Amino acid sequence: MFLHNYIYRLKCIVRDRELMYWTLFFPIILATFFNLAFANLSEAEKFAPINIAVVDNKEYQKNAPFQRVLKSLSTTSDDKDEEGIFNIRYTTKEEGDKLLNDKEIEGYIYCDNGIKLVIKESGLNQTILKNFIDEFKQTSSTVETIMEHNPESMHSGLLDRIGHRTNFLKEVAPSKSSPDTVVNYFYTLIAMACMYGGFWGLKEVTAIQPNLSPQGARINVAPIHRFKVVIVCILAAISVQLFEIILLLAYLTLVLKISFGNQIGYIILTCIVGTITGVTYGAFISSIIKEEGLKIGALIGSSMTMSFLAGMMYDKMKYIISTRAPILGYVNPVNLITDCFYSLYYYDTNSRFFTNIVILCVFIAIFSLCTYLVLRRQRYASL
Amino acid sequence: MYNNILGVFILVIKVDNLTKRYGNLIALDHFNLEVNQGEIFGLLGPNGSGKTTAINCILSLLKYDKGTVEIFNKPMAPDAYDIKKDIGLVMQNVAIFDELTVYENVDYFCGLYIKDRNHRRELVEQAIDFVSIGYYKDFYPKKLSGGLLRRLNIACGIAHQPKLIILDEPTVAVDPQSRSNILEGIQRLNKAGATILYTSHYMEEVEQICTRIAIMDKGRIIATGTKEQLKAMISSGEKIRVELFDMDDNILQDLKKLPHIVSVEYEDNFLIVKSSRGKNNLLAVLDYLKSNNIAFGKIYSEPPTLNDVFLEITGKELRD
Repeated sequence: MFLHNYIYRLKCIVRDRELMYWTLFFPIILATFFNLAFANLSEAEKFAPINIAVVDNKEYQKNAPFQRVLKSLSTTSDDKDEEGIFNIRYTTKEEGDKLLNDKEIEGYIYCDNGIKLVIKESGLNQTILKNFIDEFKQTSSTVETIMEHNPESMHSGLLDRIGHRTNFLKEVAPSKSSPDTVVNYFYTLIAMACMYGGFWGLKEVTAIQPNLSPQGARINVAPIHRFKVVIVCILAAISVQLFEIILLLAYLTLVLKISFGNQIGYIILTCIVGTITGVTYGAFISSIIKEEGLKIGALIGSSMTMSFLAGMMYDKMKYIISTRAPILGYVNPVNLITDCFYSLYYYDTNSRFFTNIVILCVFIAIFSLCTYLVLRRQRYASL
Repeated sequence: MYNNILGVFILVIKVDNLTKRYGNLIALDHFNLEVNQGEIFGLLGPNGSGKTTAINCILSLLKYDKGTVEIFNKPMAPDAYDIKKDIGLVMQNVAIFDELTVYENVDYFCGLYIKDRNHRRELVEQAIDFVSIGYYKDFYPKKLSGGLLRRLNIACGIAHQPKLIILDEPTVAVDPQSRSNILEGIQRLNKAGATILYTSHYMEEVEQICTRIAIMDKGRIIATGTKEQLKAMISSGEKIRVELFDMDDNILQDLKKLPHIVSVEYEDNFLIVKSSRGKNNLLAVLDYLKSNNIAFGKIYSEPPTLNDVFLEITGKELRD
């Protein structure tokens, strides 16, 4: 009897094209669009070598130290450990002016009674270029002064110390993964997809409730305990939804290359708990609201609101909620699921992850209990 | 069915003083019903008379304020699974799943009653053949016409071969061919041993197939019996309809003076004359028209219908 029911409920769910679209294909399409939109965002954050020109005149040819330094910072440098910061072209002064006017370079360097920099605009690249030249000039001047007044000291390691920079700040990684503002969008997306499992919970409860559907009336006339049917239906809904979430997860990790960290077991656990939360939430909505349109509206509206507050549409929202109204974060299942993925990705310890999982389990218990209290009615006041 | 050995009727459904209120509206007002084994019992009443509410209360789907319901001599309750296993329900609304094929729908609902897969397969095939939808076995419901959907709805309700089948207006919005098929099917189910409780607001259907009929109005049973017994309850008998194109009040007054006349009306070019029960006035009416040189067209003589019964008891048409 269990298997018979379970298989037919699976068929009913899988063949519901409209809901399959919303629960499976819509999140995948949304993820694809997210990826297209955020790919450029990530590119913009990457450092690109600065295009410059150097006027190759006699004075420059005489300045061997400067040539060596420039070469070491060039993208054509032989040093494979360091990425070059300058794309250097060697030109005449006229060509340099032309390249600058055509915005093909950020500035050009020419040596005429010293090293000079010509730029046309101000910006980050121009600042880097200027700082580099200033620092070279300062170091050269220091070396020349020492050589002039105390050349012996150069042999006792002073030259090395001049070139050495001591950093009094120590970089400590707050997490085991590198910061990535984009991944949170995908975490909220998968959390939203989990809550869309509510559509299945909603469908299943409607199918078995005599006051919600004629099919429910027919099932309730059969000699089978109501809760056996409810449990089978919810299990079928969870099975399909979990499969969809795993597919979405695979798409995100394997196709879109979104990192979820490497704690596969906990990631799957989040998917399972998130899926059950979504399905039981839908069952709860379906049990307390009778009108079909209203219950779908309530499910979509609440899921989207939760997703918004978790940062799906605006990445700062998660931070705003956590600093100004943290309670909202704890009562928002989408935020909790998102935060599970977030903490698995960023943190070395799992305490925050398990806190989220426990709160989600409390939600599952509340939704299930409320649904049970409504469904346990054996006779209805009206059909 | 009258039990030949013991000489008693075996009650399948017994409803006593069932009362159901929706706020101030009394949907069922001390509703009483007794259905015997082997009957096709018709529950006839206009829309809103309380037929479906009564069925839902009998099946323990609806709460009721007062009264008792017994099925197979046991109190009916939501968890009375030993009773439920012998009940089949065909609802007014088509209760099937659009995502399942015709065969799968019947198999799914039959599977709620029958565990053995091989036995179930036989029953499902039989039910599908019974309602003549074998050709559409692999079709999804959306591809079926309204009539075929109704047949599928019936197959889902009867596949487990219940002893009691409750059909709640199963022919609503059905084409004549499917309706005829459904009504014949119900009679065949009854012949195969099932007791039928059939609700409808179509008096012709109820007259055609039911062995006993209860007429309902405003949540109450206002008359019960065979169709002959019901018709015998009213004072009017034969109804004569004569097509007349010219009419004046004198004709109506003269006809009313004839013996055994209950009423005389003129409506839509037809003179309608109702006689007392057991009396025949056709010749007298025709003699009057001929002797007064009144031209007339078609003539119909009809025995009283259940609508006449309803009309006389409630003062309104069954179709109102």
